[in-house]
Amino acid sequence: MTSTAPASLRKDARGQAPPFRRILVANRGEIAVRIIRACHELGVEAVAVFSDADAMADHVRTADEAVRVGPAPAQESYLRIDAMVEAAARTGAEAIHPGYGFLAERAEFARAVEEAGLVFIGPRSETIAALGDKLAARRGAANAGVPIVPGTLEPAAVDRPDDAAAIVAEAERIGFPLLVKAAAGGGGRGMRRVTTVEELPAALAAGSAEARSAFGDGSVYLEREIRPARHVEVQLIGDADGRVIALGERDCSLQRRHQKLVEESPAPGLDGEQRRALHAAAIRAAEAAGLVNAATVEFLLDPDGRFWFLEVNTRLQVEHGVTELVSGVDIVREQLWIAAGRALSREIVEAAGRAANPSRHAIEVRLSAEDPAREFVPSPGRIGRWAMPAGPGVRVDTGVGAGDRVPPDYDPLIAKLMVVDVDRRAAIARLARALDETVVTGIQTTLPFHRFVARHPRFAAGDLSIDWVEEEWTPAVERDRARALQAASWAAASAPVAGRERAADPAGQARPGSAWTSEGRARAVDRWPR
Amino acid sequence: MTRRVRVVPAPASLMPGDRSIVVAPDDPAEVVVEPFGDGRAVVHGPDGTDRWAYLGSANRLPDGRSVVEVVVDGWRFELELEDDHRATLRERATRARDASASTGPLEVRAAIPGRVAAVTVTHGDEIEAGATLLVVEAMKMQNELRAPRAGRVERVAIGAGETIEVGDVLVVIA
Repeated sequence: MTSTAPASLRKDARGQAPPFRRILVANRGEIAVRIIRACHELGVEAVAVFSDADAMADHVRTADEAVRVGPAPAQESYLRIDAMVEAAARTGAEAIHPGYGFLAERAEFARAVEEAGLVFIGPRSETIAALGDKLAARRGAANAGVPIVPGTLEPAAVDRPDDAAAIVAEAERIGFPLLVKAAAGGGGRGMRRVTTVEELPAALAAGSAEARSAFGDGSVYLEREIRPARHVEVQLIGDADGRVIALGERDCSLQRRHQKLVEESPAPGLDGEQRRALHAAAIRAAEAAGLVNAATVEFLLDPDGRFWFLEVNTRLQVEHGVTELVSGVDIVREQLWIAAGRALSREIVEAAGRAANPSRHAIEVRLSAEDPAREFVPSPGRIGRWAMPAGPGVRVDTGVGAGDRVPPDYDPLIAKLMVVDVDRRAAIARLARALDETVVTGIQTTLPFHRFVARHPRFAAGDLSIDWVEEEWTPAVERDRARALQAASWAAASAPVAGRERAADPAGQARPGSAWTSEGRARAVDRWPR
Repeated sequence: MTRRVRVVPAPASLMPGDRSIVVAPDDPAEVVVEPFGDGRAVVHGPDGTDRWAYLGSANRLPDGRSVVEVVVDGWRFELELEDDHRATLRERATRARDASASTGPLEVRAAIPGRVAAVTVTHGDEIEAGATLLVVEAMKMQNELRAPRAGRVERVAIGAGETIEVGDVLVVIA
């Protein structure tokens, strides 16, 4: 395969040479496509990687060249550091963008890239290592004067019974309920909720064992459970000169099992002063860790309006698009320039100056191959129809389409539907409209949940909480599905099937003698202006 | 004569609480299904709601029933359609057969595709209802599969590390 961009076009709008000649995108799906798009806009060639499950995937077709890295299981393909570095070397890529997930927050990957003489498009490996240790990150934030969630700063002595009294005293100081969390953790693994002191020893042992098997590190610590709470995070970008700016915050409170479902920016209900304080705290936490390139600092917001530092994600976030829509900054493009050694652009510095007083509102929903009626269990399979929304203020990032197979091997996210408008109320109306245009058949998706959110008065009121899904969706899901089933049954019974027509006849064809009602056609005529 | 169709979610779509409904599509009724070609239709419900329905091709089963995919408001259903009169006759026959075979072996089949992360029972195990049989990993998540009833494990059809598809027999409980 050859480059799609002729040499004369390999420059950005200002006529500068591109940041790199060619980079490798060490990821798949929608985020690989999104990064490849940024590359092509900058005149950079993009090399994709793929497993056997993805040989025909969008990101492979979009790239200038593609390298097979292994069979379908991620452990044998997208999680192979050696294969990624080798693929970059073989194709002459100068840099590697890790996307999110897979190897994005593995310090040893960033180190291997650096040691191979290539550029890792993200924070330095030392920064990833320092912030990947949640306890080290907590200590760093606390030292920088950022309020951290009350709890411990050193690993709990899980294996030493003589220290049991000390840890119990510590737990009582923090207060119940509290959480046992893994220092190397993420995604809720190694996490245990403890409501009484009696439960503590077992929770420490279980959490530690789970953390050891998941991350190879059994260190756990204690944190007070802040509940109810909202999840609010700040998008940061830093350059090699040590300058770090905040591009605004996002509210990602609507979650299920620590997986975000809906994200928006700005976080509703904050005033300019609260925003400035929050952004400043995030910048302090990142500067303490020497952040270069993009990262996100996560906080919990309690009902009294106080922010508590949670952790730092040293990568591009899934939900970076809502920040791009509000700020007007292309974060991936900025990542490439910074990785190439350039200072923060004037545009991004100006955008950061406006971040405390945003003039637009963006919302993203994560359309996933999951069944929202069965506790969001994965529902991979082959996509039939695929209609994504369009029109003013709508952005769709995806890596699949009609007829594609969603493999069971990876994350179930299939598309990110984003809307932007002048304020939150308009953005919600636009979201509802966009979701009405969205059609996916062949697999169950989370679309019913998103439709529910977009029309919910509590969402419209900005009354968000990490318990929202449990409190609102769980009691409503059965009825929501039953109504759709009723309508689906009527539609199916009216179609020319059930023993009268040929099998495998396209169901919707209205033909003489079919069971479609003539009243329907009459009403259809009535509905439109003549 | 008015044709009556019985509609019931196929096993892949069936949830507790789902019931079959009988629809007489040719009746002049408050429900109007308005076709828009290419499998699309608007369902005008009795409560004044309009919902888009997207229908797939119907597949005829060997026993004469049809299965069709319908998506409404983002919910995907596989629905079995059968002439109501025929359904009544068939059910009578099935009940008679079930009465003699209610204690037969039970095949536990895969409800989701994925990779078998672990198998926690072996041939000959006596198990309680709800016991974990195996763990299926799909899309980064571990899903435990539990025994629908008590019994003895007669056969374990898969091993750890194997890839499974929907409908594959995993374990047989006697």
